[in-house]
Order: sequence, then structure tokens, then C-alpha cells
Amino acid sequence: MSGYLKRAAGCLLLMLVVAAMAAPADAGRKKPWEKFDYPELGEITLPDYQRVELDNGMTLFLAKDDELPLVELSATIQAGKIYEPAELTGLASVTGEVLRTGGTEKWSGDEIDAMVEAMGAAVETWVGNATGGAYLSALTEDADKALEILAEILMHPRFDQDKIDLAMSQHKAGISRRNDEPMQIAFREFRRMIFGADHPMGTIEEYATLAGITRQHLVDFHERYFHPERVYLVVIGDFEPDAMVAKIEEAFAGWGPATTDLPPDPAMPSFPRTVNVAGKDDLTQSTVVLGHAGIRKDDPNYAAIEVANSILGGGFASRLFVEVRSNRGLAYATGSQSGTGWRFPGVFTAFVGTKLETTEQAIDVILEQIRLMVTEPVTEAELKQAVDGLLNSDVFNYDTKREILDRLVLFDMYGYPADFLDRFRRDVQEMTAARVLEACQAVWRPDDLSILVVGNPEGFDGDLSKYGTVNTIDIAIPQPDIAMDLPPATPESLARGQELLDRAAKAVGGDALAGLKSWRSELGLDLEIQGMALHFGVTQAVAYPDRMRLDQKTPFGEMAQAMDGDAAWAKGPMGVQDITGEDLKKMKEEMAGDMISVLRDHAALHCQALPQSEMGGKLCDPVHVTGAGSDYILFYFDAATGLPVVKQGPGEDPVTKSPVTQKVMYDDFADFGGFKMARSQVILHDDKEFATGVLEDFTPNPDLPASLFAKE
Amino acid sequence: MPRFHSLRVATLVGLLLMLAAGPVAAGYQDLAGQVREFTLDNGVHFIVLEKHDVPVFTFNTYMNVGSSDEVTGITGIAHILEHMAFKGTDEIGTEDIKKERAAMAAEDAAYIALKAEKAKGAAADPDMLATLEEAFAQARDEARSYVVSNEFGQIVENNGGKGMNAGTWTDNTTYFYSFPSNRLELWAYLEGGRMGSPVFREFYTEKDGPVTEERRMRTDNSPFGMLLEQYQNLAFMAHPYHHSTIGWMSDINTITRPDCERFYNEHYVGKNMTVAVVGDVDFDEVKKLAEKYFAKVSAAEPPVVETREPVQRGERRQVIEHTAQPLYACGFHVGSIHDPDTPVYEAIADILGQGRTSRLYTKLVKETKKASQAFCFSGFPDNKYPAHMTFGIIPAKDVTALEVEELLFAEIDRLVADGVTEEELAGVKRRARANFIRSLDGNQGLAGQMAYFQGKLGDWRLMFTQLDKIDAVTTADVQRVAEEIFTPNNRTVVYIETVSD
Repeated sequence: MSGYLKRAAGCLLLMLVVAAMAAPADAGRKKPWEKFDYPELGEITLPDYQRVELDNGMTLFLAKDDELPLVELSATIQAGKIYEPAELTGLASVTGEVLRTGGTEKWSGDEIDAMVEAMGAAVETWVGNATGGAYLSALTEDADKALEILAEILMHPRFDQDKIDLAMSQHKAGISRRNDEPMQIAFREFRRMIFGADHPMGTIEEYATLAGITRQHLVDFHERYFHPERVYLVVIGDFEPDAMVAKIEEAFAGWGPATTDLPPDPAMPSFPRTVNVAGKDDLTQSTVVLGHAGIRKDDPNYAAIEVANSILGGGFASRLFVEVRSNRGLAYATGSQSGTGWRFPGVFTAFVGTKLETTEQAIDVILEQIRLMVTEPVTEAELKQAVDGLLNSDVFNYDTKREILDRLVLFDMYGYPADFLDRFRRDVQEMTAARVLEACQAVWRPDDLSILVVGNPEGFDGDLSKYGTVNTIDIAIPQPDIAMDLPPATPESLARGQELLDRAAKAVGGDALAGLKSWRSELGLDLEIQGMALHFGVTQAVAYPDRMRLDQKTPFGEMAQAMDGDAAWAKGPMGVQDITGEDLKKMKEEMAGDMISVLRDHAALHCQALPQSEMGGKLCDPVHVTGAGSDYILFYFDAATGLPVVKQGPGEDPVTKSPVTQKVMYDDFADFGGFKMARSQVILHDDKEFATGVLEDFTPNPDLPASLFAKE
Repeated sequence: MPRFHSLRVATLVGLLLMLAAGPVAAGYQDLAGQVREFTLDNGVHFIVLEKHDVPVFTFNTYMNVGSSDEVTGITGIAHILEHMAFKGTDEIGTEDIKKERAAMAAEDAAYIALKAEKAKGAAADPDMLATLEEAFAQARDEARSYVVSNEFGQIVENNGGKGMNAGTWTDNTTYFYSFPSNRLELWAYLEGGRMGSPVFREFYTEKDGPVTEERRMRTDNSPFGMLLEQYQNLAFMAHPYHHSTIGWMSDINTITRPDCERFYNEHYVGKNMTVAVVGDVDFDEVKKLAEKYFAKVSAAEPPVVETREPVQRGERRQVIEHTAQPLYACGFHVGSIHDPDTPVYEAIADILGQGRTSRLYTKLVKETKKASQAFCFSGFPDNKYPAHMTFGIIPAKDVTALEVEELLFAEIDRLVADGVTEEELAGVKRRARANFIRSLDGNQGLAGQMAYFQGKLGDWRLMFTQLDKIDAVTTADVQRVAEEIFTPNNRTVVYIETVSD
């Protein structure tokens, strides 16, 4: 074999200094369990293992264990969600799944399933936040075959479209269910709060981000990140190590190195603390998470923070467990996590699940306990308990080969020294209450803790405002945009589209609509921009084929715009200006794309019917329309009445000017001169309410003098 | 004391190599040299497997008692008792056991008086209620003043205990954690103490606080938990599998400590108790310590459950209206683990609903994409008594429960009509063997398996012969059993239908 083989210091002797529980002087007052002798545990021998770097750069850690006739192999791969673009959120995870299910150059995914399950083996792959992975477990006699399959999967996946479709269907089901379990809501929204909605650790997959993912994206993601020099392989089981190294080398022969460097790790964002409520009426329990960014494990405060956390909320005897659960009976689940990470700073968190009416009470107890950690030294008794616990359980860092080798991989990948655990143990042994306090003051900041409560606010014992300004998180799931995921048009769907538009035209204007020559409407619009509530009055007049006028009464004064064929102008406080070029084009598109115009002129448009779906609580017939101005218009017509329920199309945020998906929701239909028009028109931008409109008047075929459109 | 040795459990390896290769009969005879057992006079059975490669050991205490031993009025008590087993003993967790016991007796009396007044409902006297509430609160605080909070857990953690937890289910209650091997005597003292002389301190705070919150978390606020509870309620009418292990909220709210003590006295007896110890321990030492510290466990005869589920006379079906997305569960009565057809149930469940090549996954998930998950297992809620073979389906987005039901029924009908292939059955046998070997990985796996088979079936060696039984299943067996169980009259269906709030 090529490559070099490093036999790790065959038998790393590790002295485990397990302090025999120090005996207090007065033996007569000892409790019964304090009278036992604890002979020294003695030496723990690290298992024989080998670290091997193959020529292709792959790093192997192998340990033989023939107690059971099994071979287990787990790979850590430097490919993670942190590398996926925000607009394709979900790509990393879908790639990790379809890698396994989507077949390889040699076999289809179903053939692989059949081979793996006939052996009673397991072969899995995934891509997580920071790294990806693969796992194999097989009986010894099947290990060669299983290894061949895993290598094929990692090197030559073919990402069959059918299995991409399956993964997409499963991910969409996951999105539709993501608000069903409160715990899931809490973890998701907390992650988004801490990292921010734009950070790759905070982004959440949506129907829209899934819709943008194509097979090519999966191919590219795999091609870019899956290479042997980024793979760490831990192999444990019933094999001869030298022979196993040779087999692995052969299985992964020909796998070439990456051609691009790994992108730099995203920085941990710093966000001001927030207080947030995600409301759900049918809950009888609040799920509460508090937290802020933590530290890496190579931080000088690491050992002290672990000791502090075991005192605060790390176990059965911790302050949170005693105060929240045992003494007050406020919760079943409560505790804290130290927030120390190998690669990224962790997130310091405390959590509790409590009935609605003790929500604030439980938060108060937790905040008080965290504050105490940064204001007063822990007692000597607490310190001793925590230190004894950490030292006495140290032996469990060495009780399985799997965890020993997995830890070596972490050290290797993230540059931790080989004696990291020894240093940690030494730090713990020398820990003092003063050192714990100092670390807590440096790392934990009670006044910076963000708070998230998932529950039904109606039942809370307070409005949470004492913790700060309360943001209400809207957890409503942005509905899939069928316009982004359009099936190919067929003659049937186009014919059906025309039928539906025709039906809608009749429902709105009867036979009069087709012959409509002009119309005028008056709409009152209420919206809020940057905290200001504004009211607009909008009068729109249209004379077919090519004249339109808009008069707006705004809080800042009156404005008018008009178009007369190819001439157009606008009048405002600054005077009168011509509208030309792009702006004129937009104005024409606005007229052509108006609901009434589309219903009137649909015969000339491309109208594709889509499968029925629910919208605004009604079963609807969606129709995708192109050719009427903007890119597309998606109408949802009420399947029962034919009337429009929603009109969707591209829009623009008036403040940021960034593109949004605009929806107009029609409701409360009333008769206006023989036309059935919606009095209530709510405008949504990216599914968030932007404005509410009330149609005050609508007049079909009014007399509109030419002067109305002429430049003033 | 045992020190570190590099010995391997050679015969265990030999045995398992045989398992992997094929026939497994007589394998346990090799193991007999390594696994050693003894039974105390009070009936507590110990199984010990020495493994000296790392200076740690794990134990698993299997109590042959669960929620199926409860009757209406005290449902949830087996689980509350499990919580109580962490509250200490007459030596652990108390400042002064005599005063504490007196205070707890006063607390019980105050609680029972309050409960009686509350039971009057609307006729209860509000002033009286307030007085009784106040009296109870005082008595509770008095009792609590003698408590050293969480001392039991604290001792385990200070001494390096790892993975301390417990679980209660319909058939059993298990307790487990691992210790460094020099803590064997401490372990025997702690475990023998809480099994033989526990004190149910902080009873009312615990059941009205953490236990109630646990019910809210797992059942009332979880659509999946709610579905399972309702399915269990409907599938079993007479047998105590009817109620969920967490218990009815109204029972949790009114159970008293004397109820709990009665339940403990009846069920936490030696004959219901198996303890498996695996790791760096010495058999003789375990035996000596067990005799010393587990002697207080009662030698009384345990009661038995006599009620049997009557024959079902027609399909049972329930729709849960919920704001959550649809979930679907369906099941059919099958025999208990003592039924000779148990391996056939396992084979049917595997072929229909376990893994990516199973028939349901293939049809519902891969081919039609109508579901995102579909699975089947036999033995719901457990299998000490006749139970259910259960199907669970998570429909894909915009797919209703009834749509997936149609596909499920078609697959079941196909199995009844056409049976299964030899190849499918060979896969079942292969997977059973591989999964069994995996289940033995690590001290916890071994301890858990041995305690389970000993505690439930009376002999840990049966964990090996179960594979022989699966190997003996034929395609004819599968078809015979499928025809027998998969009838509409034997079926219970519960699903969530989504409604907007």
C-alpha cells in the first residue's frame, strides 16, 4: 500500500486520577454512603488504533474490535449547510439524502436499497449544518460489499430526478408540518433569532427555496465539496487493520481532489437581544428558550463554563432542576446547555416547558438563577459536587472505541491538541469558585439573553413586556408559489384556463364585461410604513384601449398620473412631468394586468389552469396568466362561484424597492352597477399584510371625457 | 476489587460468529460459562456478565410492572412511582426521617380532606376549600422542610454516574445508568435502597408539577402523542392497554401518596424484579452486595392481570379534528409475545413496513409519493398481553389520511391474497440476525437485552432462540396469519383530519 501508516503511540497510557472522595474529619457525622471505600480505578489503556492518511488525502482512524461480527464505518465530510446559498436553502440537506437514494453510475437507488437490506446492513448519508457524513454498519461477511456501495455513493452519485422529486415531496411535507410540534417551533425559531434569518445557520427552508433547487445544483454541490481530502473515516469492528486500509484505498481509488478551496466559515453574527412570542391558540403549555452566543471549546473559560453549567442546569442536582422542577413543580423539562462548540461558538441556552399560567414565573426563576451565577460565587459544596462529577465520569470519555476515535477526528479537523482532555481535566481539578465566577461574568450575560416563548399568550401570567419590547413572530408558513413550480402547459390545461377566465368574467360582470368600454373605481387604502399609519384615496379611470388615469389623495398631498396612448404624465407637488421609457411601459403593464382588463381580454392571453388547491380557506381553481403586462399573474378563482379570491404577481416594496410577491385577496363581494366587485381588497407582500383596501365605488362604462387624460 | 484486564469475552465472540453464520441453536450454552445468575430469597433475580476491558459497569433493573397493572382511578401511577424512585430512601434525601414521616402523614391527611371537598364539585363550600387548601399548603411546606432536594441524583452524578434515567411503559418499568467500576458497593446501596425502602417525598409537588407538565408536553400538546393515546383508547376496550401510560389527567390530579404506596407494596416485589449487571465487576462481589443491599425488597406474590380483551365485533374508527397536518394510524389485534405466531407477526411487519424496500414504503413513499413515511410494527403498545400490529403513515403535503388508507388497504389485501416471496422472507431473517447482533453492542445493549428477556419471559437465553423461531417461519405461515388477522372486524383506525383554527 502507498500512503504512510502511522501507528499511534501503541498504548497511550492515561493516568486517571480519580479522587477518592475526600473524607471529612468527623467520621461520626458521615452519611451512610460516604463510608464506602473507592479504590483507585487505575489506568485506562487507550485502545490500539491507527491513523492513516491515504494518497488521495483521506484520513482514516481504525480500531479493531472483534467482540461482535460487525464492521462499522462512519465518515465526516467537510460539506455543510453553511455552504448553501440562502435562496436555495434546503440544498445541502436534500443533496445529503439523494446522495444515498438517487443511485450511482453502477446501480439505481432501488437496487442499492435491495442490496443493503438483503444484507441486513445500514448505509446512510446526510449533510448537516457544518459537516456532512456517511455511516455503514454490516456483518463482517458483508463488509466488502457494503464498503463498495458506500464508496460508489460518495464518489459517483447520479442523483436520479425521481429520487430528487421524492426528497422534495418529503421536505415539503416537513414544511407543512413544522408548526405541529411546539418543541420543533421553539428550536427552529430560536435558531433563527440567534443567528438571524440571513445567516446560513439561521436560514429555514421554504417552498420557494426548494422550488429553486434543480438536479444541477445537487450535482454541483457534490462536485464542489465531496472530495477525499475532506473526508475523515472512522472504522471499527471485526477486521484486520492493514487489510482494511488496503480495501478502503482500493474502494476510493480514483477519487480526485477538490478544485476550489472551502469558503471561509461564516462569522457568528451579533444581534441585540429580543423578546419574542410565537402564538398558537391550541397549546396548554409554553415552551420557553432563553439564550445568547457562547464560546468555542478552546476558549480559556471552557472548563470553568462547563463546571458552571453543571451547577446551573446540567443535571439532577442543578439549580434549575431543583428550583424550577423539584421545589416549584413548574416543569418536567428544564435545564441549560453550556454553549461551547468545537468549530463555532455554541449557543448558551436555558429552557423550560411549563403551563401557560406560570410562563413568566418560570422565566423569572431561570433569569434569577443565571443572574446569581454572574453575581455570586458558587458555594464550595456545589463546586466540589460539580468537580467530582466531571472527574469521576471522565472514565466514560474512554468507554467505547467509537467515541475515542470520533473525538480524535474532531481534534484533527479543528486543530485541537491531542492532550485536550487532559488539560480540561487539569483545569477542572484546579477549579475555584472565584474562577467560575470570573468565567461566568466573561461569558454569560443575563441582560443579553434573548427570549422565545411558544404558547398561547391568552393564558400567560403576564404579557412578557417586563423583559423588553415583545415581538410577535408570525409562524404562518409561506404557501408554495405554484407560479414558481409550473407544470408544462397542455392543450387541455390551456382550454380549461380559458373556460375558467370566461366563467370569472361572467361571475363578475355578466355578459357586460366582454363589451366593457370604460370603468372608474374609488379605493381607500390603509397601510403602515415605518411605524406611520397612512391613508390613501385612489381613483382609477380606464378607457379602453389605451387611456388610464390615477388620482391619489395622500397624507402628503394630491398626485395624478395619466396615460393617453403613448403619451403619459404625472403631476405632484413638484409640478408636471412626462412619463416615458421604462415608467411608461410599467404603466401600460399595470393597465393590461388589472383584473378587469384581464377578464375582458383573456381570449388573447396565455391562460393555464393548474390543479385545484386551497386558498383563503376556499377550494380554488388557480390559473396562470402570461401576456398581460407583468411576468405572470396567478389568479385563484373560487371553485364554487367562479369569483376571484386572490390575484398574485410580481411587485415591489415601496420603501426598499426590492422585488416582492404581491397578492391581492378579494372578499366581501357587492353589487356595483351590475358588477360583482370585492369591497375588501387586502394586499400582501411576501405573504405579510402590506395594505388593506376598501372599494368605495365602481362604475362600469362611465362617460370619461378626453380632457381627463390630457396633460394638465 | 477488579482491576483492568485485557481479556475478551471469548466465548461470546464465538457464539456470535456462529449466529452470523447461520444456526444459533445451543449457542447460549457457550455463553452460560460467562453469564452467571443468582436469585435472592425474596425473588430478585440477578444476571451478571463480567467484561473487564474498561473500568466501568452498567446495570438495568427491569420491574415487571407498568401501566397495564393499573385500574381506572389510579392510571398513571406506575409512571409517578418511577419519578418517586429518584426521591431517595429513608437515608437519602432527608434531614430527619422520623419527623419527615410524621409530616408526610399530616400532608396526606390534609390532601385527602381537600380532595374530598373538591369532589363535591359545584356543591363544594368555597370557604372550606380555601381553608383546606391553606392547610394542605402548610402541611406540604412542613414536610418539604425535612427534604434534602435531589440528593439521590446528586450522589449518582458526583460519583460519575452516566446516563441515569428510567422508563415506564405498559408492561414494565426500567431503571439504568453506568458507574465507574470502583462504585459497585455505592451502586448496590443506592439501587437496593430505592427498590426496597424508598420514600415518596415531594409526592404532590411532583405529580401536580413535572408529571402533569410531562403529560402536556408528550400528549396534549403533541398531535402525534394525542393520536397514539386515542388509538390505544379505542383499540382496547376492556384490557388495561386501553389507557396510556401517562394516565388520565384527572387521575394524575387526584392520586394520593397512600395510593402510590399501595401500588408499590403490591408490585415492587422480588419476583417482579430482574437486575442485569454488565461490565468490570466481580460476580462474587455482586452477589455479596446484592444479598446485603437488596434484602429489603418484598417477597410477596405479585398480582396478575386477569382481564382479557373480548373479541372485536366490528371496525372501530375515529377522526380527530386538529389544526395539525393529517396523521394516520391503523391496527389489528394479534397475540401476545407468548403466542407461537409472534415470529410470523414480526415477519409480516418487516415485509410490509420496515425499511426502504418494504412494500408500504415502496408503494406509498417511493412510487406514488403520497406519504413521506409509512411503517409497521407488531406489539403495540407492548406484547406481554395480546396486542396490536400497528401501521403508521405520515401523508405527503396536501394528501388526506383517507387517500393513504386506500393504498395501505390495497397492500394489505395483496399480502393476504398473494402471500410473500421466499426472497422477502430470507431478507427478514437476515435483518433479524443483524439487528439482534447490533442490539448487543455495548454494556447497555447487553444489560438491557438480558434483563428484558429474563424479566418478561423468565429466561434471558430466549433472546437467542427467538432467532431460531424467525428462521422457521414459512411463506405459508405468513399467509395463514395474514388471513387470520387482516379482517375489517379486527381493525381500529384513528387519524387526524386537519381543520383550521
